Amino acid sequence: MVAAGSVPGAEPERSVIQIMTFSQQPVWDAPWRFEPVRRSGGSGFVIKGKRIMTNAHVVSWGKEVVVRRYQDPRPYIARVKFIAHDCDLALLEVEDESFFNGLDPLRFGDLPKVRSTVITYGYPAGGEQISYTRGVVSRIELQTYVHSGNRSFLTVQTDAAINPGNSGGPVLQDDFVVGVAFQGAPGLENTGFFIPPPVIEHFLKDTEDGRYGGFPMAGVRLVPLQNPAYRGYLKLPDNNLGARVDSLLPIPATERLIQPDDVLLRVGKYEVGSDGTVVYEGNRVSASAAFQTAQRNEELPLRIWRQGKEIDVALPMNVYSGDRNVGNQYDVLPRYFVYAGLVFTPLSLDYMRTLGQGWRDGANAELTFELYYRRGESPQTTRPEPIVLCSTLAHPVNANFKITRHALVDKINGLRIDKMEDVVRAFESATNTHHIIEFAPNNAFETLNRADAVAMQAEILKTYGVPKDRRL
Amino acid sequence: MRIRLFYWLAACLALAPASGLAREMTKKAGFDWERTIVSVEINRKQYDYFQPWSKRVQTVVKTGIVIGPREILTTADSMDDRTLVRVQRGGRGKWSNADVKWIDFPANLAVVTSAEEQFWSGLKPVPLAEPVKKGQDIQVLRWRAGNLEVRKAEFNRFAVTHPNMSDAVHVQLELNSEINGVGWAEPAIAGNKVIGLVFAQSGNLLQVLPSPFIRSILDAQKKGHYKGLGYFDFTWQPAENPETLDYLKLTGEKRGAVVIDVPQKPGFESVVKPLDILLQVDGFDIDTQGDYVDPDYGHLLLENLSTRNKWAGDPVRLKIWRDGRAQDVVYRLPKAEDAARLVPEAPFDQEPEYLIAGGLVFQPLTKDFLRSWGQDWERRAPFRLAYFRNQDPKPERPAIVILSQVMPDLYNIGYQDSRQLVIEKVNGQKINYLADVQQALKKPVSGFQIFEFMKGDTLQRIVLDAATLDAATKRVLEHYGIDKDHFFAATGKSATAGRAGGLN
Repeated sequence: MVAAGSVPGAEPERSVIQIMTFSQQPVWDAPWRFEPVRRSGGSGFVIKGKRIMTNAHVVSWGKEVVVRRYQDPRPYIARVKFIAHDCDLALLEVEDESFFNGLDPLRFGDLPKVRSTVITYGYPAGGEQISYTRGVVSRIELQTYVHSGNRSFLTVQTDAAINPGNSGGPVLQDDFVVGVAFQGAPGLENTGFFIPPPVIEHFLKDTEDGRYGGFPMAGVRLVPLQNPAYRGYLKLPDNNLGARVDSLLPIPATERLIQPDDVLLRVGKYEVGSDGTVVYEGNRVSASAAFQTAQRNEELPLRIWRQGKEIDVALPMNVYSGDRNVGNQYDVLPRYFVYAGLVFTPLSLDYMRTLGQGWRDGANAELTFELYYRRGESPQTTRPEPIVLCSTLAHPVNANFKITRHALVDKINGLRIDKMEDVVRAFESATNTHHIIEFAPNNAFETLNRADAVAMQAEILKTYGVPKDRRL
Repeated sequence: MRIRLFYWLAACLALAPASGLAREMTKKAGFDWERTIVSVEINRKQYDYFQPWSKRVQTVVKTGIVIGPREILTTADSMDDRTLVRVQRGGRGKWSNADVKWIDFPANLAVVTSAEEQFWSGLKPVPLAEPVKKGQDIQVLRWRAGNLEVRKAEFNRFAVTHPNMSDAVHVQLELNSEINGVGWAEPAIAGNKVIGLVFAQSGNLLQVLPSPFIRSILDAQKKGHYKGLGYFDFTWQPAENPETLDYLKLTGEKRGAVVIDVPQKPGFESVVKPLDILLQVDGFDIDTQGDYVDPDYGHLLLENLSTRNKWAGDPVRLKIWRDGRAQDVVYRLPKAEDAARLVPEAPFDQEPEYLIAGGLVFQPLTKDFLRSWGQDWERRAPFRLAYFRNQDPKPERPAIVILSQVMPDLYNIGYQDSRQLVIEKVNGQKINYLADVQQALKKPVSGFQIFEFMKGDTLQRIVLDAATLDAATKRVLEHYGIDKDHFFAATGKSATAGRAGGLN
């Protein structure tokens, strides 16, 4: 619980903030360029310490964030103090601290009970004034947070309407904040989701050291252990306790302390069921919720069944970033290098989206495999940062290329390309008459005359308005 | 390809064309086509690869043309797993029993005959034409509701493409026509000759096996020279980038295509190597796009020289540029049917293989299995399984067996949702073929059957009880009405082993 100074029973809407964000995203296949400035609206609320809590997606890629108080026409400029793209939360500060005069910070409550009533406050689309909706807590479980796209956390589902613009607004119960409204489910009616207090508290605690590090991950793939034969094989009693570790992510501490076929009996204070769930404040949810109680750099006590015996392990919990390129990325501009009109950039989900809706189609199967499957199947051949030739700025020096885009770079001048710096080094340290760029997987290659490439570099950058040849 | 049946049936329901007009048009062409075009009905077993033990009956009606005494030419498409073939003359009336005299699936050609004497009375063979010339009037003919339908078609181009029945690549004629629902061996004619058989349709585009290609195979087959279609097993890229040819130190005019990949075959060294420039193939100059000038068809992809009057095992003379000089080498065409593929076509005329153990269903991964996701299978099939088609077989993985599904039973509880997983080992033994699974199950480990799947983001391991496996399998078969717990090819090993295991 985060204590704050407001008095339950006061008008909470006075502390609910309207947020307008003017944002600009990069063009992922022309990474020196930007998309047009976009205006979007969201909500937030005042918490203690003269800060505004909102969703990360409300202020991501923000060039300017404008906040307004309840029934006050004056705009104030805010800036992002902390942003958590994994759990879709952010804290804002306002340059003019008088903004907070007369505003009581809202106080956080506990995880609401299923079937209890909640009220959302916010500034959704469809009007200018604050809007309230009422609903019941429908269920509580882990859901994917669509802002990152590849992280799941505890989520509360409600039938209170949550619409675009509600994002970042508080969900209240008895005047205590029991959640931050953040997403809906396309195709489902009367279904909105909000981020509950355990996730919010984790975020706030993480920021206490002055930076946000993120939720740590154990890197354990847990599967149900319900077949009596498998339980017998592991010499485990045939009851409803214990889920099996099927495989591990390449996290050193995890690989050192945990093994496939370990059976997790307890994570922290939570007993693990044979279906891989725990009972979390009365709700049966994925055991991930128990792992997510730990902060980064903390040790999480685990009770494990291994080779017929119970053992206790203290697992160091660290943030895992190995899968960042398969999630949505924000606020960090994409890396690139332009050489002789050839544009190289890291392979990522954001880049793949530039290929259009059917980007998973056969034509891009190599890129899809590299992005999603190689890491799990063949860690020894996985590149830390796969690089693609994403486009070619046409010029006589490269005009005869047949391979001009969407191609995974294997080698340049014989050097295996594991990251963007390798591309730069391979071109800049070459001494042969020709540059040879090889593509995966079939050894297709293209050839550049090195002298021409060097001579034309500045001209090509100028012609296409590329301000710098690289962002590393 | 089989989806075309729907179109054909739909076409049957439509109104018949004006028969008088058709007769007039065909007579004008100077040939009585009604006496040479016949219908060929194929009744066949069709398999559901999601339930490989289940057979459906399919009836396909195609077109055939009389090409000689007691010989009807048609395509091989949908003639596998046939149970009864019949022929009909004049588009109506009695059907006569028929036999397949000769068939070659990679070439997509079949010759059908009938022992019924009266069927042949009055039928007249038609000659297969020389290559069609631009500007010729082209029509596509077929029997439709008892009348001969004649539809105009226009020459589009000759193209060298992969015809989808094997790794063989050959020239195809592309026509444009308003006709619907063709692709079942309807003859395309010009004057009084057949210029090809339509074997596929996509919108208004008809794909046609050109007569010279057909005739070369039929002639070779009659002379006993035909050994099946061959193919080039190496990969090349165009050399339109002159810097590439400079880098490879080619002197003189810019020409040729660059070899980029040659399959590794144990105990066999290819005469072609990566970075060779193909200057000539079979005496034809290769340009920087990888084309040669064909005397019959004009500019064609060099790939066509693997099937232009050459058959599997035949030598093809190559002039290559290597180490700064031109060299002559002789390349022997591998057989297309033996192409090493990690995901092979399922063998023709063979039931799908499967093995059920305790409700776990194992199947070899074949293209036919993937086609179970429909015409758009390359997009709709699970990505990881479909992606295997892009990968080459290797000694450590010459073929793939998958756990395709689990038939739920108390024995396998907890695994009911497991599906489409690549099986790596059973009881510690490596699995490449279905028969490997059967053998490995005979050697349980300490009373357990241990299944290990391919490393990745999906389930890695299943353990089941060994002592009760057979009883569980029996119970599953009874419960789900399945006759047999397995079907293996007659070779004793997985039939796909013969195709994919050789690494030729």
